[in-house]
Amino acid sequence: MTQRITIDPITRLEGHGKIEIFLNDEGDVANTYFQIPELRGFERFCVGRPVEELPLLTNRICGVCPEAHHMAGAKASDAVYHVDPPPTAKMLRELLYMAFYCTDHTTHFYALAGPDFVMGPDAPIAERNILGVIHKVGLEIGGKVIQMRKYGHEVVEMIGGRKVHPCTSIPGGLTKGITEDQRKEILKMGKWAVEFGQFSLKLFGDIVLGNKAYVDLILGDIYTHKTYYMGMVDENNHINFYDGKVRVVGPDGKELVKYAPNEYMNHIAEHVEPWTYLKFPYLKAVGWKGFVDGPDSGVYCATPLSRLNAADGMATPLAQAEYEKFYKTLGGKPVHQRLATHWARLIELLYAAEHWVELASDPEVAGPNFHTIPTEKPTEGVGIVEAPRGTLTHHYWTDERGVVTKVNLVVGTTNNYAPITMSIQKAAASLIKKGTVVTEPILNMVEMAFRAYDPCFGCATHSLPGQMPLEVTIRDAKGNPINVLKQFCE
Amino acid sequence: MKTLVIGLGNPILGDDGVGWRVAEEVAKSTANRPEVEVDCYSLGGLSLMERLTGCERAILIDSIFTGTKPVGTVSRFPLNELPDVVAGHTTAAHDTSLRNALNVGRSMDIPLPRDEDVSVVAVEAENVYDFSETLSPPVEAAVPLAVQAVLELLDAQPAASRSDNRS
Repeated sequence: MTQRITIDPITRLEGHGKIEIFLNDEGDVANTYFQIPELRGFERFCVGRPVEELPLLTNRICGVCPEAHHMAGAKASDAVYHVDPPPTAKMLRELLYMAFYCTDHTTHFYALAGPDFVMGPDAPIAERNILGVIHKVGLEIGGKVIQMRKYGHEVVEMIGGRKVHPCTSIPGGLTKGITEDQRKEILKMGKWAVEFGQFSLKLFGDIVLGNKAYVDLILGDIYTHKTYYMGMVDENNHINFYDGKVRVVGPDGKELVKYAPNEYMNHIAEHVEPWTYLKFPYLKAVGWKGFVDGPDSGVYCATPLSRLNAADGMATPLAQAEYEKFYKTLGGKPVHQRLATHWARLIELLYAAEHWVELASDPEVAGPNFHTIPTEKPTEGVGIVEAPRGTLTHHYWTDERGVVTKVNLVVGTTNNYAPITMSIQKAAASLIKKGTVVTEPILNMVEMAFRAYDPCFGCATHSLPGQMPLEVTIRDAKGNPINVLKQFCE
Repeated sequence: MKTLVIGLGNPILGDDGVGWRVAEEVAKSTANRPEVEVDCYSLGGLSLMERLTGCERAILIDSIFTGTKPVGTVSRFPLNELPDVVAGHTTAAHDTSLRNALNVGRSMDIPLPRDEDVSVVAVEAENVYDFSETLSPPVEAAVPLAVQAVLELLDAQPAASRSDNRS
């Protein structure tokens, strides 16, 4: 008799997802499916609008990383108009982006990864959340998290015109600059962010690396996959979130390809499965071989861990020291253990904070030349940035008036759809065996497999009730529920 | 009592935009009431908690998807009637629930309204997965009713004095 276990929905607030685990006659895992509904009609929605509206519209796709869509949209619009923004504009955009990264990575670590590691994967469910983390490690840390978010929002508002959904980037630069006083204020906040990044890495070292059980969990086979890794790099092959070329390395760490944004279609193809609307991107040069590891499989991963693996180092000194410690501790490059993504995320947080300080230290960022008026006839253009959860590609086509005729987006998490599917499969198969009583902690450990990727699917909707309870249904072959577990907190 | 009215949702995602539409109408009706601030917002959890900082009372307007009520049904209820599933795996992929976020904020001594001073006005939605700036007809028809519900809540006594009448 086949059994089916359904984890549905994982979340509602930022996209409704469902994990289905099918058991075979022996009670072992036969297969798993990670399904999410796709938000529909975005291209149709964009066609016929002036392209300069797209950086504003695309940032409404996602409730979590609108800043990333705004940046990719702005860069694609620059490319459509064949205009190169002046240095001040690039610095301002990048500065906004660093502040956003600090906020986003902070929230993920303290609100999502933290509960699993600070409280423990099998901690009582009512305590496994950010409030539990704060109560355990101290109110002072909660204050720092809130402060980090506040500073991040303030910088986004100063440069982007609004908190969270910035609106100032247009083809050729920005609609406004910042004052010298604002620059000094941003610099002060950046210096605090660097200290916060260092503090967070120390906390990770003390709580996670200082606990053998967690180190064993990270290094264990359950959460390990050997795939290709993608990330954007600068001319020195150091990580860059805003600009550069996309580099892909193999499971052996060697470079497979490094391409400019407008070449992405030569390198990325999409595989379709009958059980999901979302497509699975893969590397054209390697080919789709299914949901499998190894150098012959075109599956790639685009996450903080992937970015570290795909780069030769970090562009700032403190983050570089942490980068070296990371690989020394975990046995060299590349690191394949997916739970190490949480550590990689904190190294990126420190880099973002350091780069924030670098950018805000240069008086040119407050200069008056923040826009170049486009003069070329618009055609098509590609913009790529590294979103916190993966390489984000926007590709726009327009007519000669700059009116959109076609749009293609490859969003951060979509890159990771195949590896997330593989990670869930492996965790479920490792943790649920014949005779296993499927408990809440076991399901949480399955969820930890996808949580490491910080996935973000169709995340614009906010309809209440916001978060719905996890419901696990075990069904027989005819679809009749034989056991239902509802995971309410209270 | 300073009250913040927030329309929640995504204005380009069909019925998910109803919160903004209602809030915009409420703003017109309350233009001469300095104690009422109206805003539109697209985030929940920690961000929404941060937005509520300093206000004594809040009214949140949002779409709701129960699947059990007719599309366009307007409901109102206190925040603490929403299920608060805050544990790691059940909550949002990038955030926490508003109630949990409010508790986090209060433990940081951030001035925030009490749960009982946060009300929700919700409109049963139909389409929240297709990009569109248009509400479906039953949701569009519900906008005046939702506006009325918000205005009635604004005129109602604060929760503290209401609770005196409870048994």
